[in-house]
Amino acid sequence: MQSNKYKELLQQLESEELEHIELTPEVYQQLMAIYLYQNELSNAKLLWMRIPDKLKVENKELAQLNLLNLALHHNNYADFFKHINYNWSENVKSTIDDLFAKQREDIFTLTGNAYVSIYEEHLLDMVQMAPNELRTHCASLGWTQEQDGDRVIWLPKAKEIVPVRGNDDQLLKLTEFVTFLEN
Amino acid sequence: MSSALENYVNQVRTLSAACSYRELADELAESLSLLIRNWSILDNVLETLDIQQHTLGVLYVLLAKLHSAPTANPEPAQIIQLMRDFLQRSSVEQLRFAVCAFYETCHCFTDFIVQKQLSTLGIKILSRAIDQIRQMDTQLTPLHADLCQLSLKAKNFSVVLPYLDADITDISTVAAECKNQQQQQSQNTMDANNDAKYFLLYYYYGGMIYTAIKNYDRALYFFEVCITTPAMAMSHIMLEAYKKFLMVSLIVEGKIAYIPKNTQVIGRFMKPQAIYYHDLVNVYANSSSEELRIIILKYSEAFTRDNNMGLAKKVATSLYKRNIQRLTKTFLTLSLSDVASRVQLASASDAERYILNMIKSGEIYATINQKDGMVLFKNDPEKYNSPDMFLNVQTNITQVLDLVKQINKMEEEILLNPMYVKKSLGSQDDDLTSQHPKAFSGDPTD
Repeated sequence: MQSNKYKELLQQLESEELEHIELTPEVYQQLMAIYLYQNELSNAKLLWMRIPDKLKVENKELAQLNLLNLALHHNNYADFFKHINYNWSENVKSTIDDLFAKQREDIFTLTGNAYVSIYEEHLLDMVQMAPNELRTHCASLGWTQEQDGDRVIWLPKAKEIVPVRGNDDQLLKLTEFVTFLEN
Repeated sequence: MSSALENYVNQVRTLSAACSYRELADELAESLSLLIRNWSILDNVLETLDIQQHTLGVLYVLLAKLHSAPTANPEPAQIIQLMRDFLQRSSVEQLRFAVCAFYETCHCFTDFIVQKQLSTLGIKILSRAIDQIRQMDTQLTPLHADLCQLSLKAKNFSVVLPYLDADITDISTVAAECKNQQQQQSQNTMDANNDAKYFLLYYYYGGMIYTAIKNYDRALYFFEVCITTPAMAMSHIMLEAYKKFLMVSLIVEGKIAYIPKNTQVIGRFMKPQAIYYHDLVNVYANSSSEELRIIILKYSEAFTRDNNMGLAKKVATSLYKRNIQRLTKTFLTLSLSDVASRVQLASASDAERYILNMIKSGEIYATINQKDGMVLFKNDPEKYNSPDMFLNVQTNITQVLDLVKQINKMEEEILLNPMYVKKSLGSQDDDLTSQHPKAFSGDPTD
């Protein structure tokens, strides 16, 4: 499963952190990136608080990661997509790519649920995409557009939720429940 | 090595070899002061003892080392390594005979590394100590409080959370341990007084940890346990917990959460000392963000002194959200600028931001129409017919079932307790015939 992708690495990093005082910035970077990807924002915030001050100043990439953290924390999507555009080191690149893909998907799902209509410039600002890119993406989601004077308005469509659970599982649970009631 | 210490080593070796741990534990407790006096040569003693075979002997040397730390000023790395080795190799069977000394050693160790600002390194050691000494996963030991303290100091909760998440069904205290071992030594009575302290600290720190990770419901529960602990006098731990309890109640419920009636300490001692916080609660009830902002500003000094300023800001944000939630009950549609003016936000775009965030976190159901600048409030779209909701209900049912089982089990334990039987036989002979576990449990499924 996608969310378990980083589980082992995370456990290993967390335990490493507990046994050493002097850690390399790479460990902190990876930890931070994983917390952000898993949307564990309080953990990311606490991690930032325990990173030694010296590293915070010296290591630009850590500071950049924290900008992402802050943006997510304040639900500031424009800042997030601005700051994620950075020359990440190999160390965290793949995690950041995953994070980017996930956040982009999330923001479109959210927009789909929360807006009946949204001005294109507003949406562009939020997701920080090129206008052409945005148009293809919205079209692929089945959103329609309207013209309001010279401004473009998108009419988003809420995403259908696909059920995932099997019937056998439910039946088993129900049996358990009935057995309890009868005893 | 002085002859007194040679005696110590010999004693440990002979008695350990003969497996008379009970006797050894009693003897060793008396030689503690001797060890502390000879702090400079304790390392030599350690070299002659084996952690696994002579766990008790090593335990007291460690305790002496930690007690003499202010004068001896040992290398922190050495102490940490010693504790780590000790906990990895010590024999639990022997530790059981000196639980009080073990607790004390861990408390001293915690104080030591907190002072040296190396809390991070102690977390795993303490968690290992708890795993070793507790008799079941749901037993609370005085060491839990230490682990929480270290985690808070280190701002690292990955280890401590599983401990906090477990519901406590049994408490190990120094007083009870001493009774089990029938040790009536004067040094232990001192520790027994601290049982309450470690209990309260566990719930206070635990509440703080849950607040930090924004699990406010659980935090509220922890603070509640702390402030509703039966007491004749007020502990300052309870007072601080009460202040945080009030703030977290506002965030969770928007008013003071229900407090059981049997807690006179709150009304008599705590309320007068938490006036600022009660003012805050009263102003919050007026639903005016502007007034709330003013009062937080007015008391900011007191809140900062109590280290509660961050929480106060969260309270302020929660009022905006609560006010927006209230609008959803009255209106079907509303313009964004109307929302802003009604909840006293600066601008329509601020209101839009709040609403978007609340939709994201599932606090309200609404859609925004930017074309007309309107918000359309909806009802909860949950029809309770989706598989996810089904799973949700299932998990809750399972939890309740487990709880019922647990209560029945504990009920049974009490019914079989000789003390209880004796007492209930004395007062109400007739009732005993009808005593069946089910009759008491208030089983919701009956």
